[in-house]
Amino acid sequence: MTAAPHTGTRIRETKQDRIFNFCNTVFWVIVLLIVLYPLWLIIVASVSDPDAVLAGKVFLWPVNFSTMGYDAVFQYSELWGSYLNSIFYTLVGGGLSVFVTMMAAYALSHRFSGKKFVNLAITFTMFFSGGLIPIFLNVRDLGLYNTRTVMILINLVSVWNLMVARTYIQSSIPYEMYEAATIDGADHFTYFFRCVLPLSGTILAVLAVYYGVARWNDYFTGLVFLRDRTKFPLQTVLREILASLSVGNSDTFFEAYADNLGGLQEALRKAEVAKYCCIVVSTVPCVVLYIFMQKFFVKGVMIGSLKG
Amino acid sequence: MQVSPKKNTRSKPPLATRFAKAVYRDWQLWVFLLPALLFFLFFCYFPMYGVQIAFKDYKAAFGIIGSKWANPWFKHFRTFFNSFYCGRMFANTFLLNLYGLLVGFPVPVLLAILLNQLTHKRFKGFAQTAIYVPHFISTVVLAGMIYLFFSPSSGIVNKAIEAFGGKAIYFMLEEKWFRPLFIGSDVWQNAGWNTILYIATLTSIDPQLYEAATIDGASRFQRIRHIDLPHLIPICVMMLILNCGSLLSSDTNKALLLQTSGNIKTSDIIGVYVYNTGIGKAQYSYTSAIGLCLNVINFAIIILVNTISRKVSEISLF
Repeated sequence: MTAAPHTGTRIRETKQDRIFNFCNTVFWVIVLLIVLYPLWLIIVASVSDPDAVLAGKVFLWPVNFSTMGYDAVFQYSELWGSYLNSIFYTLVGGGLSVFVTMMAAYALSHRFSGKKFVNLAITFTMFFSGGLIPIFLNVRDLGLYNTRTVMILINLVSVWNLMVARTYIQSSIPYEMYEAATIDGADHFTYFFRCVLPLSGTILAVLAVYYGVARWNDYFTGLVFLRDRTKFPLQTVLREILASLSVGNSDTFFEAYADNLGGLQEALRKAEVAKYCCIVVSTVPCVVLYIFMQKFFVKGVMIGSLKG
Repeated sequence: MQVSPKKNTRSKPPLATRFAKAVYRDWQLWVFLLPALLFFLFFCYFPMYGVQIAFKDYKAAFGIIGSKWANPWFKHFRTFFNSFYCGRMFANTFLLNLYGLLVGFPVPVLLAILLNQLTHKRFKGFAQTAIYVPHFISTVVLAGMIYLFFSPSSGIVNKAIEAFGGKAIYFMLEEKWFRPLFIGSDVWQNAGWNTILYIATLTSIDPQLYEAATIDGASRFQRIRHIDLPHLIPICVMMLILNCGSLLSSDTNKALLLQTSGNIKTSDIIGVYVYNTGIGKAQYSYTSAIGLCLNVINFAIIILVNTISRKVSEISLF
């Protein structure tokens, strides 16, 4: 795994530098092992035999390869219901977030009287909030408690993302273009939809990933604002399966599927592997999205982070 | 459109008139702003108005406005500050953040510097992609991974400990393990992601500096020491300031998941207590008061830290 020394430079690497390069490469191999091994372990355990997993025999390769865990996961109808909910909240909520943020960012990239006040009012919310309980009571008073609407409307706009988008529009779409468009008779609406949006591919991708991932990974909103289990997003259901000691409420979740999985004993045995499968099934969409958007994304984040 | 003729031309027209004029002139831009402004009004400013229940005895039947004022008005604050748990929760919240900062702050800087020194292009690209991945894992899954890997019966960590002749540790039930697990998993998840800012800074350094240094015979260490570090210091200071501002805020989401009856002595942080007591036991006024305390303190810290940094280093957030 040692990297070949850079051969392009005319000045030869000194011995000290070569030692440094070697150590650095070794360091990075270790870092990558630390980062990737837990992920690898989860994938491997998800396709192994439950008994081997329970005995701790799985650490490098699948033991007694089986898809038993995934079969069990497919039986958990509640999990799949929540999966659909999460897709809905992520697509609709995330899409709305991106649109509202872009519109506000566009307005804030212009000069107009009252802008200072708007900026102040928005920034203030970043540093001060009413707190969890007043927010909860507010949602209840608005009649949004236990509705799908609240899952979409809450956290609709993130101030940080708004700033990043505004900076992007200001720095990469020239103002002369707006002037030219105005002379040609375009108003703000035409200009925004015909010129700004088509030129904002990078920032749209960044916002979509930011908002989408945040919504997909959020369990707390569902926990606080929803009562009906049929409306729960995936992460809120996953919490009961994963984030509890092995003796606890996770077992009650699996017990519900005992009949389909060949008895309680068998259901709990499979549950051990099913936990790993749940992790894979819930995480894959995010990671795949990231890897596809990666090039695009890192560039866009840097634009925002450097100037924002 | 026109200023009322009775007014002296020098004095400004009333605020409402000026506002109406401003909106009329740029009404299209205000239409663009409207959805976002409505969101902030309904979901940020309404709750700020509702925070008054911290000074009231909230009764659901009377609502926020109709409930009676507490007697004395600071009743709930007094109850909190006199309670047995108050000191412990402040200490837990503060220490968790402080240790988190001490461990979590230097790691991304170090990673960014060393990543920048990797000479093999493809390996570098792979490493950069890989260290971002854990950031996309949800808190629930991360907590689940901790429960699975550190399980005393089947977890890989305890299997390894047993293989070397040790005894299995009940990580999730021992109070001394809560902070290491919380902070360690946080570093694993976010250290890579947090390098973005530093890498962006490093790539913006003029390559001529490196060339000149190389020609003058500077080793890689010397280049890091004399080129990379000086360029990174301003952004490091800014990030440090930002992080200091959140020393008393807490990642409630994650702590809530990692809290067990065994580790409650260290995992009982303010945010989790507010959730458990407020939402769980419906003590709305009392927990609103706690939340308000915390928010005011955090706000004050940010203002303070920002003022100091503006004076000292001319770096500030606002």
